[in-house]
Amino acid sequence: MNGIRVLIVDDSSVMRKIVERALRQAGLELTHVFEASSGVEGLELLRAERVDLIVSDINMPNMDGLTFLKQLRTEDLAAEVPVVMITTESSEDHVREALASGAQGYIRKPFTADQVKERVLPLVEAAV
Amino acid sequence: MATMTRQLIEDSPHAVHLDEAVDEVFRLMMGVQCIPGELKPPSDTEMLTAVIGLAGAISGACLLSLGRKSALRIAEFLTGVQTAEMDTTVKDAVGEVCNMIAGAWKGKYAPLSSGCMLSIPAIVTGSNYQLHMQSPEFSIERCYQFEDQIIDFKVICESIQ
Repeated sequence: MNGIRVLIVDDSSVMRKIVERALRQAGLELTHVFEASSGVEGLELLRAERVDLIVSDINMPNMDGLTFLKQLRTEDLAAEVPVVMITTESSEDHVREALASGAQGYIRKPFTADQVKERVLPLVEAAV
Repeated sequence: MATMTRQLIEDSPHAVHLDEAVDEVFRLMMGVQCIPGELKPPSDTEMLTAVIGLAGAISGACLLSLGRKSALRIAEFLTGVQTAEMDTTVKDAVGEVCNMIAGAWKGKYAPLSSGCMLSIPAIVTGSNYQLHMQSPEFSIERCYQFEDQIIDFKVICESIQ
């Protein structure tokens, strides 16, 4: 898939790089990779930039991923953009809450590039 | 409920769960085998320890300790970039690995999966420190080896709710 603009929200710069690499390995040709280290930064970016995909961690300081997701929907930002949550938490509750709050998919850490491809590619293909 | 949680946790094979969690993180995220070993990481002035707090159904901490070479190698595996400096990226990488192991470990216990939260990782540099907990319910400490590197992972459970 060509020309994808992605926003990756994670407090870990290493994890942001891992996610970017996994998305490229999944076959997405990323033309713009926007990075945010918190939900607050992510919202600021989305007020200024258009993206085709949002990948966000859940457990972050200075606005966690679930709050970011809810705020995104409240402000009607990126309403048509697929959001995929990444979490270390193995909790079904978190996954349910994320999906109920408007996430289209989730990935549990640790993950493989194949898992990212399976979870993300169909969402992007359907949205773009 | 609390009694049932305690029983389930007490009856669980802690070391087996931890070995599986470490294996998953290293194999899936770094493509390298990491197996239990006998040796402890060599004492190193540039020792790093990542600390993740546990709160909820159990409270306590998970600690990943390793020397400079191991930390640099982990950062290289995760980022794909070789580095010689113990910079913020290396510390971030070690914190992430600790976070993923802690998450994978607690996911092996049904009551902890949704009932125990993880904190953001904190990084301690150096080896001259003591961690004080009043009277832990249990603790697990295991050493692991990947390539020729040795790491140490510890779970300290201070209380079960």
